[in-house]
Amino acid sequence: MRVSEIERHDTDILILGTGGAGLFAALHAKQTAPEATKITIAVKGLIGKCGCTRMVQGGYNVALGGGDTVERHFMDTINGGKWLPNQDMAWRLCEQAVVRIRELENEVGCFFDRNADGSLHQKAFAGQTADRTVHKGDLTGIEIINRLMEKVLASGVEKLQEHRAVGLIPTKDGAALAGVLMIDMRTGAFRFVRAKTVLMATGGGPTMYKYHTPSGDKTMDGLAMALRAGLKLRDMEMVQFHPTGLLAGDHTRMTGTVLEEGLRGAGGQLVNHAGQRFMFDYDANGERATRDIVSRGIYAEMRKNNNPDQEGVFISMSHLGPENVRQKFKGMVKRCADSGFDLAAGKVEVVPTAHYFMGGVVVDVDTRTAMEGLYVAGEDAGGAHGSNRLGGNGVANSTVYGGIAGDTMGVDVKKHVYFRDPDNDVLAAELERAVYPLGQKPDLIMPLRRKLQDCMWDNVGVMRTEAGMKQGLGGIAEVSTELMTIGVDGSNLAFNLTWHDWLNLRSLCDISEVITKAGLARQNSRGAHYREDFPEPGAMEDSEFTVAQMQNGNVAVMREPVEFTIVKPGETVLPADAPETLVATQ
Amino acid sequence: MTEQTIKAIIERGPNPMGARTQFDVPAYDNQTVLDVVSWVQQNVDPTLSYRFACRVGMCGSCAMMVNGVPRWTCRTHISKVLVGNEVTIAPLRNLPVVKDLVVDMDAFFDKWIAAEGLHHGALTREDPIAKVDPTSSARVASDAGVECINCAVCYAACDTVSTNQEYLGPAALQRAWTLLNDTKDNGREKILDAVTGAGGCQNCHSMGSCTAYCPNELDPMSAIAGLKRESAKSFFRKGR
Repeated sequence: MRVSEIERHDTDILILGTGGAGLFAALHAKQTAPEATKITIAVKGLIGKCGCTRMVQGGYNVALGGGDTVERHFMDTINGGKWLPNQDMAWRLCEQAVVRIRELENEVGCFFDRNADGSLHQKAFAGQTADRTVHKGDLTGIEIINRLMEKVLASGVEKLQEHRAVGLIPTKDGAALAGVLMIDMRTGAFRFVRAKTVLMATGGGPTMYKYHTPSGDKTMDGLAMALRAGLKLRDMEMVQFHPTGLLAGDHTRMTGTVLEEGLRGAGGQLVNHAGQRFMFDYDANGERATRDIVSRGIYAEMRKNNNPDQEGVFISMSHLGPENVRQKFKGMVKRCADSGFDLAAGKVEVVPTAHYFMGGVVVDVDTRTAMEGLYVAGEDAGGAHGSNRLGGNGVANSTVYGGIAGDTMGVDVKKHVYFRDPDNDVLAAELERAVYPLGQKPDLIMPLRRKLQDCMWDNVGVMRTEAGMKQGLGGIAEVSTELMTIGVDGSNLAFNLTWHDWLNLRSLCDISEVITKAGLARQNSRGAHYREDFPEPGAMEDSEFTVAQMQNGNVAVMREPVEFTIVKPGETVLPADAPETLVATQ
Repeated sequence: MTEQTIKAIIERGPNPMGARTQFDVPAYDNQTVLDVVSWVQQNVDPTLSYRFACRVGMCGSCAMMVNGVPRWTCRTHISKVLVGNEVTIAPLRNLPVVKDLVVDMDAFFDKWIAAEGLHHGALTREDPIAKVDPTSSARVASDAGVECINCAVCYAACDTVSTNQEYLGPAALQRAWTLLNDTKDNGREKILDAVTGAGGCQNCHSMGSCTAYCPNELDPMSAIAGLKRESAKSFFRKGR
């Protein structure tokens, strides 16, 4: 395969990804850009079907009055992120969520749950001081993505479905982005898409862990491309674990999928292998403690038991009355039943499961990056959540910043009359990298992916130590090296999933190394990052965030001080007489 | 069930269409049809193509014909479909095959949009959100079909779709009915025009496969019946 064989394609605005960020960007770009602007949306799966926004259960955080304010939402976000968030990004998230939720209801056509008086119903998740989460039952993401998808499909934007981005191709001087190299997965052909502005909204998805929630297409490709392109990545040690993932064996794709937060909120109990409740040994709130605390509690119990035949703990709901559980958690009970488990009357084995990635590309509040022409939004962007994302802030973040990206690109595209020429050396190198496995002797890839997932789970997971992470780095390097000896049968490249399994694992290895190095650099415990050898959070006023970047072919990790641009630790933007919480005690 | 095997017969296309290959797959306690397909690709036939994303019945990417019946493969426990120890898996019916078990869903979504399956609103992001009584009959009617995840199982189940390429199909028509009942939607005329054209609701023969096979237990057949009633009423009223 030579560079000359790559198909060429041009567009004005290219959007990578069709989650909440990508779809909103397409709609906003269409509204903001000059009429003749060509907009293209490219995605690794089908439009609106892959990606994680669709899988949002809980809902959408937005301060809509009733005593709640943008200031209060902001303070919860800063406190939840343990003072690491970029405050300007967090502020804009909370402020614009108010506009975006009206846009979703009024222009996009979503219908969220109502109170009896017809107003929007809002509930409170852990870590919130107001009933703030707008939702559609426990399938909020489906409503948001289905409605957005319809609007985008009808908008006339160009679609590049089942197109996988494999490399960001800069200009010769490296200062700007010329375009993106992609594989048309349906045919296996390479396509280089030049664009004046590109949004990367491919989503995070920490699937390098043995247990993980994100959909199967998520493998950190966006961040791996950004890393190679020399961009700075922040907060890369911050992996959020959801406490209750289904444990059903390593031969089934069901393993790791989420059993919803609401089960614990409603009184669900966690019991260990001996049948005993244990969460009160770890926290006064028991099972109702926040995600990070419950994940660590479960992990500690698993480690104590240390039995490979009975690895997890159990969630038990039956004391609430099986019929009641069946009614209240209809979808969850049915999902478990389809998979062979009785959630209503029996016990279901669970483990903490890697859920969300707080880290991402360093961007400004308009989604611009250090590279002209490249914009990043959604889970690929870092900063808004700091060390921990509150439930309900994820979909708010992707839709708010996706819209902002569309607006920004719609304006910026006018400044660029000509397409930029790519650095052909980088184009050749990225092509070479993607076809590499086709020249090696074919062998199975999954055993190697499992090896990486075990390594990350054991050494760079829920609880971390320096020794463990150093061992982790060794393990990642082993998998990484071994991967380069494993080939893929390239006789038919059309919809060749095994080729993509290889490329997926390549991305996961690259980002696993960054997570581990950032984890080693942070010698304290904040939010999702817990160091057994440094259990203290450190002084909030001295907060630093990690920044990782490729330097001379190696991942270097630096630390930068958090700028408290809006509020300093110990202070608040709420009025002095504001109550600590507006949530009625249960 | 360990040490037993499942005989998985996979029909793949498009060249040649329907070529059958048999695989012996180890059986496990917790195993879905998608797991069986994945095992084949990951262990014995790396060239096998299939599509999936969420793994939990939320994205609607992985539907296939299982023993001749359309199903979500991610949420179908293998024990439910084994005949003896055998299962036959084929690409979803009524859509063109890209490769093996992967179909091109564009026609399905084109029809969704052709049925005016998108919000027609008058309000903007500057307006307050409308108050809607969640128990009103219109809202209840709209809610009935709103949780469709566009998996195309009903589209594959429908015999009318297979004989009439123009027919919009159950999912698109159900979406139109959902919007027609949505008090926030202002597209009534457009929707009725769209669903009474050549491929519209009158093509439906009420055979009910859509409702019988919907994994979400929705009822597109009744939604289509509703559209037929509304379009008849509108016809007499407007004399068109």
